[in-house]
Amino acid sequence: MRIVIAEDSVILREGLAQLLGMRGHEVVAAVADATSLRAEVAEHAPDVAVIDIRMPPTHTDEGLQAALALRRAHHGLGVLLFSQYVETRFVRELLAEGSSGVGYLLKERVSDLDEFTAALDRVATGGTALDPEVVTQLFGAGPREGGITTLTPRERQVLELMAEGRTNSAIAKRLVVTDRAIEKHVANIFAKLNLTASDDDHRRVLSVLKYLDGRQ
Amino acid sequence: MSANTVHQRPAHRVPPVAVLVLREPVSRRAFAELGYFLLNIPVTVLGVVYAVVSLALGAGLAITAVGVPLIGFAVHGARRLGSLRRRMARRFLGEDVAAPLPLDPLPGVFGRMSSRLRDRVGWRAIAYLMIAVPLTLVGVYVVAATWLWSLIGLTYPVQYALGWNLDTKVDADGTVHHGFVFFDVVFDTWPRQLLITVVGALLLLIAPWAVRALLLVDRLLIRALLGPGGKAERIRDLERSRAYAIDDVAATLRRIERDLHDGAQARIVAVAMNLTMLNETLGPDIDQDSRRLLTAARDHAKDALVELRDVVGNIHPPALDGGLETALATLAARSPIPVDLTADLPDRPAAAIETIAYFSAAELLTNVTKHSGANRIKVDIVEVDGRLRLAVTDDGRGGADVAGGTGLRGLTERVGTVDGRLAVDSPPGGPTLITVDLPLHT
Repeated sequence: MRIVIAEDSVILREGLAQLLGMRGHEVVAAVADATSLRAEVAEHAPDVAVIDIRMPPTHTDEGLQAALALRRAHHGLGVLLFSQYVETRFVRELLAEGSSGVGYLLKERVSDLDEFTAALDRVATGGTALDPEVVTQLFGAGPREGGITTLTPRERQVLELMAEGRTNSAIAKRLVVTDRAIEKHVANIFAKLNLTASDDDHRRVLSVLKYLDGRQ
Repeated sequence: MSANTVHQRPAHRVPPVAVLVLREPVSRRAFAELGYFLLNIPVTVLGVVYAVVSLALGAGLAITAVGVPLIGFAVHGARRLGSLRRRMARRFLGEDVAAPLPLDPLPGVFGRMSSRLRDRVGWRAIAYLMIAVPLTLVGVYVVAATWLWSLIGLTYPVQYALGWNLDTKVDADGTVHHGFVFFDVVFDTWPRQLLITVVGALLLLIAPWAVRALLLVDRLLIRALLGPGGKAERIRDLERSRAYAIDDVAATLRRIERDLHDGAQARIVAVAMNLTMLNETLGPDIDQDSRRLLTAARDHAKDALVELRDVVGNIHPPALDGGLETALATLAARSPIPVDLTADLPDRPAAAIETIAYFSAAELLTNVTKHSGANRIKVDIVEVDGRLRLAVTDDGRGGADVAGGTGLRGLTERVGTVDGRLAVDSPPGGPTLITVDLPLHT
């Protein structure tokens, strides 16, 4: 995988590049601000860009804005937002234009390299990767009318993993059950929530999030 | 033994009154006071000339463009002279008068001009200067009548011997006298000369007290006119320093958040990265104990980040950087009870106000979740008549009361720090409407 990193902290930028290099990924550029990020992406056409949300000059949401612009400009580029905080507003803005090839992870997720590179892979191949904390916050936002309240605890667990962007087989492996069992859960969830069933990962995420968002 | 020696320390001996009186004219204090007065003469003269000339010119030219700024200039200069006087009084007289707050001018050239014109501290300093003129004149007389005459009197025999300062008086019988003439009496004989010397000595003893009495008036004037001012002004000063303190706290909290984000938090993420790399480098073939230690270290790093995030969320939620509306949207998204948020703030409030509004909303949402049993919450944040109004409505069971719990009371107090108000309308059975009214700026 060819990766561009945008992160204003030197230690994190270099650490991340080194870390990804250990798994055989090629970090083609590592920059400290949004302007250089755009230039490097245009030059190297990477598979995925890992972008810190807070970067100079204002340290608010430069990274998010750059990610949105890059997605419009470069079709097929995966963008993974990398932050120390979960901001549901940022998640919404990121997903507003589709959940294909986007991700939002907390920085501490680097401590599990398998999970981290798996998430990066999903984003690079057009999937979705949402941090469990993001999902928790969206779900923590509570029961809507009907629907979600009727889910069993197991179904809720499955729904949360779906929202993180995982496939059925990944969920099955995680919960140590068969793929078949997960398929049944998913069908039940979709039925209870009145969602159209779909095998397409990112559309599943999108429908879940749309549903969660529907209360606003 | 040692306790006894402590008690037997010789008592501080107070010199007799006579010694005090005799010593006073040569005391450090008497000289300092005299020095203050002498220095005061040119300062007052120059100050008055400056104030009168610039005020008169300003008034005379008031219809032109330079007139009003000139008056502002005079007031501003008077303020600085006042501060010089306070420093003189502290240095020479030990009179420690607190300085009024510095002028906090409105922005722009005209703002500064109008602030100067309305600067009460400056106008009070002008009043002081005007009163200082007659006081200084009286003072010159007093100093001349005491210090100067005492010196002349004490040195009279010497002057007589040298033939200085002598008048000439011719008696009716034609006898010519040389000497100091006072009420037709010539002080030329030896006992008469001695009498003058004695009078000089007496004046010398009186001199320091006379100057001190004079300066007492000056001290009172300095306190009244060059200090921080009356109650109304004091309140304004306090309001300003409070606003400053509140803004300062908001800025500090924001800086702490930044520092944590760029410093400690980034470093702990780096530690987590390094541990991950170490884990990769070591591969699968390490012993159980090392593996356990490594895993524990990674978990601690992760926990530390979670805890730091909570701390930061309690002091300055990062979402506030994007404005109050963004932060409230994030807050609403986290609420377990669905929230309808309406926000309309054309002007961005001061950072401190945003923080207070944010934490008020957070506290109110928590209250609703905990106590009301509501199904829906409505949060409105709008600008009304130049103030910010936060209204939280829920369809719960009502009965909320400021006196009831510590939550609403604490909130009322927090809102009060910026002259905000909290109103509760919560009849039993609901619905509950709680309004928080805040100024847009501190």
